[in-house]
Amino acid sequence: MAKVPLIPIGHPRADFLDTASFEKHRAAMRALEKTLEERRAKIREGWGASYAERVHAKGKWTARERLEHLKDPGSETFEVGSFVNFERKFGKLESPAAGVITAFARIAGRWTMVIANDNTVASGSWWPLTPEKIERAQTMALRLRLPVIYLVDCSGLYLPEQSRSFPGLTGAGHIFKKNADLSAAGVPQIAGVFGDCIAGGGYMPIISDRVYMTEQAYMVIAGAALIKGAKSQHLSSLDIGGPEVHVHQSGCADVRVPDDATALAMIRADVERLGSSACDFYRHGVEAAPPREAHAELDGLFPSDHRMTYAIEEVIARLVDRGLFWELMPERGRETVVGIGRVGGLYMGFVANRQGLIDDVEQRGAKKPAGILYREGIAKLSAFSRACNDDGIPIVWLQDISGFDIGVEAERLGLLGYGSSLIYTNSTNSVPMFTVLLRKASGAGYYAMAGLPYEPIVQLSTPITRQSVMEGRTLAIAAFNTKLDDEFEILSKDPAERAAVESGMRETEARIESDMSPYKSAAQMDTDEIVKFSELRPWLVALAEMAYQSSGSRRIKNPRIWSLHDLAALTEGPA
Amino acid sequence: MCIGVARDGARWYRGRRSMFKKLLIANRGEVAARIARTSRRLGIAPVGIASIADMGAKWLDAMDEVVCVGPSAARESYLQRERIVQAALQTHAAAIHPGWGFLAEDPLFAALCEQHAVTFVGPSAVVMSKMGLKSPARAAMKAAGLPVIPGSDGLIADADEAASLARDVGYPVILKADAGGGGRGMRRANDERELRAAFAEAGAEAKSAFGNGALYLEKYLLGGRHIEVQVLGDRFGHAVHLFERECSIQRKHQKLLEESPSPALDAAQRLELGSRAAAATARLGYAGAGTIEFFRAPSGELYFMEMNTRLQVEHPVTEMLCGLDLVELQLRVAANEVLPFSQADVHASGHAIEVRINAEDPERDFRPAPGTLERFEIPTELGPGKVRFDTHLAQGDKISPHYDSSIGKLIAHAPTRELTIQTLLLALRAARIDGVATTIPLQIAVLESPEFRAGTYDTRAIPGWPAR
Repeated sequence: MAKVPLIPIGHPRADFLDTASFEKHRAAMRALEKTLEERRAKIREGWGASYAERVHAKGKWTARERLEHLKDPGSETFEVGSFVNFERKFGKLESPAAGVITAFARIAGRWTMVIANDNTVASGSWWPLTPEKIERAQTMALRLRLPVIYLVDCSGLYLPEQSRSFPGLTGAGHIFKKNADLSAAGVPQIAGVFGDCIAGGGYMPIISDRVYMTEQAYMVIAGAALIKGAKSQHLSSLDIGGPEVHVHQSGCADVRVPDDATALAMIRADVERLGSSACDFYRHGVEAAPPREAHAELDGLFPSDHRMTYAIEEVIARLVDRGLFWELMPERGRETVVGIGRVGGLYMGFVANRQGLIDDVEQRGAKKPAGILYREGIAKLSAFSRACNDDGIPIVWLQDISGFDIGVEAERLGLLGYGSSLIYTNSTNSVPMFTVLLRKASGAGYYAMAGLPYEPIVQLSTPITRQSVMEGRTLAIAAFNTKLDDEFEILSKDPAERAAVESGMRETEARIESDMSPYKSAAQMDTDEIVKFSELRPWLVALAEMAYQSSGSRRIKNPRIWSLHDLAALTEGPA
Repeated sequence: MCIGVARDGARWYRGRRSMFKKLLIANRGEVAARIARTSRRLGIAPVGIASIADMGAKWLDAMDEVVCVGPSAARESYLQRERIVQAALQTHAAAIHPGWGFLAEDPLFAALCEQHAVTFVGPSAVVMSKMGLKSPARAAMKAAGLPVIPGSDGLIADADEAASLARDVGYPVILKADAGGGGRGMRRANDERELRAAFAEAGAEAKSAFGNGALYLEKYLLGGRHIEVQVLGDRFGHAVHLFERECSIQRKHQKLLEESPSPALDAAQRLELGSRAAAATARLGYAGAGTIEFFRAPSGELYFMEMNTRLQVEHPVTEMLCGLDLVELQLRVAANEVLPFSQADVHASGHAIEVRINAEDPERDFRPAPGTLERFEIPTELGPGKVRFDTHLAQGDKISPHYDSSIGKLIAHAPTRELTIQTLLLALRAARIDGVATTIPLQIAVLESPEFRAGTYDTRAIPGWPAR
């Protein structure tokens, strides 16, 4: 086997962080995680127990029950977009998870994307952002070449809000465009139709390669409600577009099944007929192993005050197998860490920001703050990102970044240009990229490190993520620039005016602070999911397995021919 | 010379098949000397490592090259994974033999070797991790059809679960730490009240000692025997057993004397135990030499205790009994060769006994007695059986206080147990070691004792050596 010179990094927690601080950080984090848990639980209830009972009364399962029966017993699912439309009001109504569950689920040992209309929220109808959420999930599946399973039970658009979900570029119709894209790319799609599938709901399943219909399901362009004379003829939607019609007459579906359980069992059997996972092959004879230091400690490593620092090496050590890591270019651009580790036995590239003070290469003996990007760091990220793309190594971007270095020197050195180069690299990479916003995701740093606008396949936030163009204080200074002096002190001597400026700045700062909430971001689909730190490692293992599951769909070079070795040879000097 | 026929039909000739050219031995003293001997015989250049304290030691003469890996404390030298891998890379050693002790059962070291394309002579890091934790090892062995001591199938959540389990298996019970070793996190309980108190204590102790407070529970069995089976597997799903070793003569869990066959097993039991152990080995996908330890209850039942994923100190007992070189077999398996024989080709003949000779004073509570070997004579030609003396020391050598106090191991092999005992006694009585106190008087007393002669001893007491 080719050499990948991983070495142990990280230390037992007690060696670098005293128990009191650790417990303090952890307690603060646990409080935030408790909120996260409560909000998740509420979303999972949909519109509540009475709606679940209604579903059961029809002899059907809820969307979550279907997912539970579909996945491999005991396996973990990874939901994305669960906070879409969080706390957003439509009149008096809310749409928990935008009325659709999108989750990575393991079926017959293969990772799949399951898209399930939530039949406990307005009969699975589509709200504003529901189409976008479905399309985002389809895009993830397309990029990772994961089979897509649609569990369709959808009464069409939520009509009162149709203007916000029907006509636009990403309106409901774009779901079918994505169905077609997936089909064209050879990604298997399987649909189970479990109930009402009206209009859009009817289109969603039928581009799929296999369509199962239960005896309660119908697919129609328009339901009986819109058919003249339907009432007098006692025609129901089931008569118009049930399995009797679609399986036997129209050919719009393939198989009729008595109930939910049978449909799900047959879908499982179908997935089993697809190619099995190539992960074991790409593990090169090595099995997955947990990190040496417990990943569960991650939640106590991050100080509750976002201005305080921590050791990023210790974070990486708790994410990679056995804490083994190969850091590349360790002497250059010290504000960043780049390197390779195994996650679930599979090689992944890591890019992260160092915090605290680092040596200033320009001035001997001087220090400068990390947590931002300087010229060398940006160049290092570009070179590493390009090399990983070349080598087919999926990249995990661990962001905790306040932005680029600013000032006279920064501009003279051309940080704009170096930044553009990094942006070009990340924009044109075809290798799977995953972004984790550990804490700060600010300004050009958020963009340059593969933030959502650069289309990482998945972007995860944590309970302490702060996404914004800049911190509130800085933004207030920028907004009130004309009222401030060189030291950012208020110019005016007039007490009334001073008070006005002060309160204006405070307000601005407060608004930015609330805008930075990860929930707000997730509700607007500015991030894909909010996860606890203890969930980060399982997430990365799952994403690694997804990235390596389908052989033949993307470049995966064996380590012998990695260009990373060239990079190491050129930057590390004599062996 | 043909030394066997592999299952793939290929014949094994000494030196014919290509092998590692250079082997780094990540150990010291007698262990390093033992491995170097086989390495040399197979035409593999041995590379040694040494701490500063060991630099210049005579056992290093067996090596082609020696790399100093750090200061005297083992933690700073023989346990420095990265330095040792670095030493292998710099000397272009293709493989690392960890010996026993130090890093021999360290999955991280094995993983590190793999990443740097140095072959680790031993099982995979994953199998090692699995066997390193008690509860997965137990589960794996149970699944492989080996009887385990009645107790919890996995870890226990709380004292209530422990109490309910204890009612099922019957008191006394023992709580053990999942990550355990050295008796820490271990508590015996005779009734439910004791158990509830012990649960909290053992959990806290394990947590502070190993950073992992997970516990499991077993029935506590008294007065049994420690019997272990030597197994050997290759990377192609084959596994054989090389019979058992009886290791019940112990002091504070330290073995003093080992023999094979065990006087406690009859022929049918030995074959049954061996074939079960071999089947479990194959099922685990275990490649290399390993030892599965069993506890034999006074009632005669045998239970799995743990698996050691390495060569054992007492491996020469098996080597003499079966006429094999286990280090050679380890190296061949590590080089991805197919096992050269099947179970039917393995024959045990006669009887073998090993006694450990340590620089410890048995009259003074086995206090280590480092010093200089002013005289060091152990005759091996007195008969009636064959005698092998494994040591790294010679007259005039110093026994370092930095490491264990082993002087060597004397192994005898003869057609019968009685003749083997006679052989050992002749050699031990004629041995002359001056300058340090040794365990020889104890070994003589054991070999002369009626309980040992009768083969009725167990782990509770040392026969012929009353507690003093």
